Amino acid sequence: MNEAAISVSRLVKRFGDVVAVDGISFDVAPGTIFGLLGRNGAGKTTTLETCIGLSAPTSGTVRVLGLDPAKRSDFQRLKRRIGVQLQATSLPEKAKAGEILDLYAAYYGVVPHTAELAERVGLEDKLERFVGKMSGGEQQRRALAIALLHDRDVVVLDEPTAGMDTFGRRILWGEVERLRAAGKTLVLTTHYIEEAERLCDEICIVQAGRIVARDTAAALVTAHGGDAVIDFAARGFALDASLDHLGTWVQKGERWQVSVQGEPGRALGAIVAHANALDVSIDDLDLHRPGLEDAFIALTGESLDEDASAPATVAA
Amino acid sequence: MNVFRVLVAQTRANFVWYFLRDGEMIFWSLAIPVFFLFVFSFALGGGSTRSTSTFLIPGLIGAQVLSSGFWGVGAMLATFREKKLLRRIYLTPIPSWTFFASLVLYRMTLLALQALVLALVGGFVFHVHVVGNPVAILLILLLGAATFVSLGTVIGAVVRSTESANNIASVLTVPLAFLSDAYIPIDRFPAAIGNLLRLLPSTHFIDALRGIAMYGDSLSHYTAWIAILCIWALAGTAVSARYFRWV
Repeated sequence: MNEAAISVSRLVKRFGDVVAVDGISFDVAPGTIFGLLGRNGAGKTTTLETCIGLSAPTSGTVRVLGLDPAKRSDFQRLKRRIGVQLQATSLPEKAKAGEILDLYAAYYGVVPHTAELAERVGLEDKLERFVGKMSGGEQQRRALAIALLHDRDVVVLDEPTAGMDTFGRRILWGEVERLRAAGKTLVLTTHYIEEAERLCDEICIVQAGRIVARDTAAALVTAHGGDAVIDFAARGFALDASLDHLGTWVQKGERWQVSVQGEPGRALGAIVAHANALDVSIDDLDLHRPGLEDAFIALTGESLDEDASAPATVAA
Repeated sequence: MNVFRVLVAQTRANFVWYFLRDGEMIFWSLAIPVFFLFVFSFALGGGSTRSTSTFLIPGLIGAQVLSSGFWGVGAMLATFREKKLLRRIYLTPIPSWTFFASLVLYRMTLLALQALVLALVGGFVFHVHVVGNPVAILLILLLGAATFVSLGTVIGAVVRSTESANNIASVLTVPLAFLSDAYIPIDRFPAAIGNLLRLLPSTHFIDALRGIAMYGDSLSHYTAWIAILCIWALAGTAVSARYFRWV
């Protein structure tokens, strides 16, 4: 199959006056892992929901495996061919994890292989546990197990590691590698840089319902990450026009970060000179090579860390 | 067939999850009706406790049918939607009605259990005898269940939040039971009000159930009411089908 596994074209989704998705287009080649990276509320989940038929586009087209998820007959056929892990599905509190897996096996018409699945997601000793007593990470792994229940061509994971500990993440990453080896197509949303960088063949950076950039992690870093990143703590520091042009700045409390274009030594000099002029001391200064997060910041003007913000420039 | 297997598995799971493992639910659905039977039999009994409980048992069962429809199905669907369980089910390849049907089947099973407990307690303690034709009793119970499940589903279809669905379900269930000849005979109300109360589908259902089960009336005796209940059931189904959303 040479055709795209998923093809989204000029997708718009409005909820009343709110535009959640504002003209997104992308194609996902079969057998690749595609990531939508962005902050909460960027429109990633809404985009995914239109791909799996949970939400109809306001305008634009979506095709998954050549089928239109908004069309009833196509949706019925599609459901057998996609595996889905959704954010925050709450199941009955008094259900046991093992019972849920058995039941979903019946829903998907497959022979229950609960014990094997549970072992894959590290829940083998939790099968008798009530769902209401499971931790957030265990719930996520239980949801992952459901997404892996049947043999599917496309697997959709919405924020698969949100609330997971390192153990859970390692399990998820292992399963993603298995799916990759089996030639499946994967689409996932995430707001973890490390996850996008590590798992995705291709990354779409999404901001305010639009795609800001789309490429491999390495290409995004090369094109947008800048030449170096300077990161320091300084109480009472403020930007002025002379520093503003150095690159994209992000501030979180007393921490400042800028991804610098050009020779980093000059930028460093300018920052130190400015700090001296303000009579502010700089602590914990770090200069490092840019990563995907720096490319993200340069492209969106904001950090994935929801507490960080773009600082205002104070006129000198 | 797979659909049938899912229906059985999900119904069984519902019964275990929402009833057998939920002490509060066991208490409310079994102990409370029996408690009502005792209290009302002694408190409201103008004549003998036997004739009062003969009146009360079909009323209590009828009230449970109302509550199954409004709470057990209607408000539950709204809860399942808000908890995003419905959308997960919607994404599975099984026909969506299977999930709905399993919820109804679970409540029907519970209802049968409730009716059995009330009939047994009534028989042993108050010497009440169910004299009606079992097939006719079953048919009128099924029609009542269909009517109030269908009307309950309207709540689940139109109301978005769990909280309002629960409020609407309780506002409908509790007063309706008191106003529909379930616990208090309608003759005790002033005639003008009584005539209004006789227009309620819940009154039609409970009176027909009582007549058929306890006084041996035939189904055909209630043809008009049965027809009206069918209209309510169809209207409820039409509204639900039009407005119900899985996501």
